[in-house]
Amino acid sequence: MDILSRRGRERLIKYICLLLTVLAVVPLLWIIGEVVYNGVSAINLEFLTALPAPFGESGGGIGNAILGTLIINAMASLFGIPVGILTGMYLSEYDRTSRLGSAVRTVIESLSGVPSIIFGIFAYSLIVLTVRHYTAIAAAFALGLMMIPLIAKATEESMKIVSNDIREAAIALGVPKWVRTTKIVFSIAKGGILTGCLLAFARISGETAPLLFTSLFSFYWPIGIDQPMASLQVLIYNYAMSGFQNWVIKAWGASLLLVIIVVSINVIVRRFAKPKYKAGV
Amino acid sequence: MSNSTKLDIQNLNAWFCEKHALKNVNVKIPDKEVVAVIGPSGCGKSTFVRCINRMHELIPGAKASGKALLDGVDVYGGMDVMDVRRKIGMVFQKPNPFPNMSVADNVVAGLKLVGTHSKKELAEIAEERLKSVGLWEEIKDELKKSGASLSGGQQQRLCIARALAMNPEVILMDEPTSALDPASTAKLEELVKKLKNEISVVIITHNVSQAARISDMTAFFYLGELVEFDETRNIFEHPKNPLTERYITGRFG
Ligand SMILES: Nc1ncnc2c1ncn2[C@@H]1O[C@H](COP(=O)(O)OP(=O)(O)O)[C@@H](O)[C@H]1O
Ligand SMILES: [Mg+2]
Repeated sequence: MDILSRRGRERLIKYICLLLTVLAVVPLLWIIGEVVYNGVSAINLEFLTALPAPFGESGGGIGNAILGTLIINAMASLFGIPVGILTGMYLSEYDRTSRLGSAVRTVIESLSGVPSIIFGIFAYSLIVLTVRHYTAIAAAFALGLMMIPLIAKATEESMKIVSNDIREAAIALGVPKWVRTTKIVFSIAKGGILTGCLLAFARISGETAPLLFTSLFSFYWPIGIDQPMASLQVLIYNYAMSGFQNWVIKAWGASLLLVIIVVSINVIVRRFAKPKYKAGV
Repeated sequence: MSNSTKLDIQNLNAWFCEKHALKNVNVKIPDKEVVAVIGPSGCGKSTFVRCINRMHELIPGAKASGKALLDGVDVYGGMDVMDVRRKIGMVFQKPNPFPNMSVADNVVAGLKLVGTHSKKELAEIAEERLKSVGLWEEIKDELKKSGASLSGGQQQRLCIARALAMNPEVILMDEPTSALDPASTAKLEELVKKLKNEISVVIITHNVSQAARISDMTAFFYLGELVEFDETRNIFEHPKNPLTERYITGRFG
């Protein structure tokens, strides 16, 4: 005896999915709402462009931390994106099944599970201890390393699902393998690879632990990438826990700004990389 | 019909690891004629054509031995493998246009990706080849659309145009109509008959009457061996081998 008709069951499953989706989305909107609500009052021109005010004084801004985060993220991307994409390309197109390929794949997969603080300690002992001072280069190195497994995996998966028929078409035209890989398979897989890069970028934009070990903080404008550098992440961490009202509000403002930076980079990159055709792989 | 030989295949053997998939095949493909390759599935038809343009060896564990002389030059020795594939084009069972390129770019993909042709030359070649496969009138207003947006039959003709754009001397087709509807199949058959004015065509088909309709010569394969190769009329009217007769009359496979 069927208590529920088939139609009823379908509808029940649909509503359960909907309910769970709502459960997932509500906290997310809540967080964003909280950040906007608390942060928006902090944002003004001075906040965006001035240096931090000394502890206990009102006013001041976070201009150096905004610039620092942009610099560190850009350097990390410059290192992590190409290395990640080439690794993924290698795994998908050049060594899918060999022992070496599997070894690389295992390393990549384990790396993506390593806590971010480990990357920080690694960059700290490798670079900071060697040059004997905190430096933004070490921060970019740590964050770039964190991007590699995410991007490599996204690249590998996106290129793997390109149908072999397409590769055979290129082979039959006498197109050399590297041209086939870069101009056909890569180009078809671009959307997925881009998503992977943006996710990795968003991920490192929220990382604080590795920065505490590497770029630390500075109350001045960045003067060189080999020097300590302010960043939004470390600023939020310091300010939020300071107990000082002016700084706590600035921490909210900085959080809002971090969200805005990540979202707008996402939107801008997607707008410029819009595929000419819907790639039916 | 006593055309000159375009492709002289001698003692061709092919393996997949230990499996001997093609056994000592000898066949002379005439110039500017259509050769049909028939036989039950798994008999080695695809392996045979993929040995001719050296795609067989790309499968891990696969190897081939023997000669395939294109105008007297062995594709397994005298020629660069990329040149082999440019001179011997191929069309597959499932249409496989590049989904990241427009219709026009698909036609000239092989030239555009490696060559040094100017934009104007490429556009001319694209038009010429779309005309030779009868697609130009149908899609001349949609040249900028993705190659994957066409119908299956149009996609397959686009793939033929793409192969022709390389100016091949031979074109290999592996069951090109098996994924198409009857109307598209008929158009493609007409195209094949027209193509032989320019080049040699080797076409695999699982459809015996298609072989009878479009080919000048027919090769019948069975269990990796070339059982019989003769003018299509002889194969269908007076097959010499009882296996051939059983196959074309539909009594197995
Ligand atoms: N990739 C492969 N690996 C191993 N064996 C294969 C592979 N492709 C084909 N074979 C085997 O080789 C034989 C010939 O296959 P194929 O040339 O594809 O036959 P056909 O095209 O006539 O159907 C078959 O027995 C098939 O099982
Ligand atoms: Mg086959």
